[in-house]
Amino acid sequence: MSEFLHQLTLSQGALLSGVQVTIYISFLSIIIGTAIGLVIGLVLTYAPFLARLPFRIYVDAIRGTPVLVLILAAYYVPAVLGVSLDALSSGILALTGFCAAHMGEIFRGAFQSVEKGQTEAARAIGLTFPQTVRYVLLPQVIRSVLPTWVNTGAELVKGSTLLSAIGVGELVLRTQEIIGRNFMTMEFYLVAGLIFLLINLAIESFGKYLERRLTYA
Amino acid sequence: MTDTTSTALLEIDGLHKRFGDLEVLKGVDLNVAEGEVISIIGSSGSGKTTLLRCVNLLEEFQEGEIRLEGEAIGYREVNGVRKRLPDKDLSRQRSMTGMVFQSFNLFPHLTAAENIMLGLRKVRKLGKDEARAKAETWLGRVGLAERVDHHPGQLSGGQKQRVAIARALAMDPKLVLLDEITSALDPELVQEVLQTVKELAAEGATLMLVTHEMAFARDVSTRIVFMEQGLVAEQGPPEQIFGAPKHPRLAEFLGRSRT
Ligand SMILES: Nc1ncnc2c1ncn2[C@@H]1O[C@H](COP(=O)(O)OP(=O)(O)O)[C@@H](O)[C@H]1O
Ligand SMILES: [Mg+2]
Repeated sequence: MSEFLHQLTLSQGALLSGVQVTIYISFLSIIIGTAIGLVIGLVLTYAPFLARLPFRIYVDAIRGTPVLVLILAAYYVPAVLGVSLDALSSGILALTGFCAAHMGEIFRGAFQSVEKGQTEAARAIGLTFPQTVRYVLLPQVIRSVLPTWVNTGAELVKGSTLLSAIGVGELVLRTQEIIGRNFMTMEFYLVAGLIFLLINLAIESFGKYLERRLTYA
Repeated sequence: MTDTTSTALLEIDGLHKRFGDLEVLKGVDLNVAEGEVISIIGSSGSGKTTLLRCVNLLEEFQEGEIRLEGEAIGYREVNGVRKRLPDKDLSRQRSMTGMVFQSFNLFPHLTAAENIMLGLRKVRKLGKDEARAKAETWLGRVGLAERVDHHPGQLSGGQKQRVAIARALAMDPKLVLLDEITSALDPELVQEVLQTVKELAAEGATLMLVTHEMAFARDVSTRIVFMEQGLVAEQGPPEQIFGAPKHPRLAEFLGRSRT
């Protein structure tokens, strides 16, 4: 036990930087991915068929592809095309694209489930379409999207572990490096697992907090 | 007929509306003068709702013209080609008419006052305090001074519909369209809403309403319009329409409504 504590102290810097990278990647991907997903959801719900088509194809293609494949593609394909992206950027690109596709589909469902009468009442008052989205649809959509959004956040944190495959120094890669030095496989995977549990608990309670703040009678 | 008044606020000329192959309005002509209260009656599917929705630009229409205070609504001619106006113009024109729906369509995330304030703030560009004051005044006028800060979920159907009426009228529209606004209400809540409409009519608001409440229509209207299969089949003052209907389908319709 004391040996484990000693090793833990030795590796806390590495663990901490792994946690930071994991959180940084997940956070960035979910924020940008959600913003793009919102636009995709709006297009899928309200745009005419031809404008919808490329977005529909994108969403279905991404959602049908394993995250690891997305990550490898984001890492190797730009290089082939002559664009140099470092592993971290490739990882964020892949996870953002993943998040955008999922959130796009989630937003589409949410926009479509708002009663048609809401949009009509807003238009009847004289609100323009952007105003209708901003003041009438989004406040309702956000509430219905929230639980799934929290889930997607947790998925992204899990997905970020796959970035170890392209050498991004997130928590899993750091843990593997630590184990490579001290051979305490069980102990340090447990530590990593515990940290992931904490991150996801934090995301979950943040979601619960938002849900409470946003309920109305 | 009262249709040829020169001070028409709303003029509908030869309005045709098709949903795909189905022609729902087949050349509707109708004028409405300021201060008039028009009740549109007719059997289900005759095009009453579609007519109101065309006037409020919630539906596109293929032929004919609708003018409000002389301004063509929804379309303009560019080099002889009929074009739908851009969203911004449509919004402005929609804000000139108010619409009250059968299903209320209040915004559930906003309180009664906020439902009314939204249009006042974002469309009429009033300041927050002014919008709030106006919302409270209107909620008072429809008998809901005590419900200003309630969400729609905390209101009865009749109360919701009165908020919706206040929301439409607070915008100072030229014309208010009301489509079967008591049809979704429990019978005991119908009267409070009809009473509210009566008061607005008495104050001189220009109203165009679709209703199945014949006694109410007779009582409140300056003119009754009977629609049949996408056309105005007969119109006239209530005494004439209910007392001496000419169109055979109108007589039949009234006979059915009385039962
Ligand atoms: N969005 C729509 N798409 C296709 N047909 C419609 C649509 N809305 C209404 N209709 C048809 O138009 C006709 C007139 O409908 P409506 O104006 O609602 O009649 P009313 O209000 O007099 O009952 C009906 O045959 C109805 O089925
Ligand atoms: Mg109808």
